[in-house]
Amino acid sequence: MAMGDIAFLLLIFFVILARAQDDSHLRWEPAAEEELKQAKNYKASVVIDVDSKSYLNGRPIAQGQLAGALTDILGNAEQKKRTVLLKVHKDATAIHFEPVIEAVSKAGGEIHHVLEKQRK
Amino acid sequence: MKLRRNKLLVEPPAGASSDIAFILIVFFLVCASVQPEQGRPQEIPKSEEEPDKKNQSQNPEVELTRTAVILNGDPVPNKTFAPRLASLLARKERQEDKVVVLKSRKDVPYERWINVTGLIEQAGGVVTLQLEEEQAHIVN
Repeated sequence: MAMGDIAFLLLIFFVILARAQDDSHLRWEPAAEEELKQAKNYKASVVIDVDSKSYLNGRPIAQGQLAGALTDILGNAEQKKRTVLLKVHKDATAIHFEPVIEAVSKAGGEIHHVLEKQRK
Repeated sequence: MKLRRNKLLVEPPAGASSDIAFILIVFFLVCASVQPEQGRPQEIPKSEEEPDKKNQSQNPEVELTRTAVILNGDPVPNKTFAPRLASLLARKERQEDKVVVLKSRKDVPYERWINVTGLIEQAGGVVTLQLEEEQAHIVN
């Protein structure tokens, strides 16, 4: 019976660890697109929320620090494993999202815009 | 013909209940953690400190505003933008000539930007961004 308890505690520990990088608490609405592809092997996620604030892996970050932080995360990973998810609120303006795209590009990341299926 | 059935133990052993509970927790966690990460990959050339202005002047330039798309200085209706750009890019053979310089106004919403960059990629172009600071830099 003790083994079950240990396993359960370990499980909770890993769940809490995973939650530290979670960005599901952030408020943003995806833009729509007709054809979508599933993201694979992503290393980081950048969110621009409804208030046009930037977050890296769920934590607030200034746009000026984003390129450096992403360079650290991506490290020397091979090209296919340098994907960065970009979750931008559909009404965010270019002045907020273009510097973020530029930062991902500077860090050598592969951008994957997270979008929703366009309703016909 | 009647088959004989052995009497089997129907109830699972009580000791296995914690294992069953554990597997159920894992199952629900996996279900909860699957977030759809669907979208569109985009290849943006890695930015250089000093962009090659000679090359950039030969590449098609798209200026994007909230309501209009301007291709090489000419406003183009949304419907004809993709075919016009495609015919422009079809004449170019080298991959670096297919780079399309995109200048967006500060107030362009992301949804519009995504639609237009999608059209550029469908036309065979590779998007590169020219930010406001760089635009000002080039003017000076």
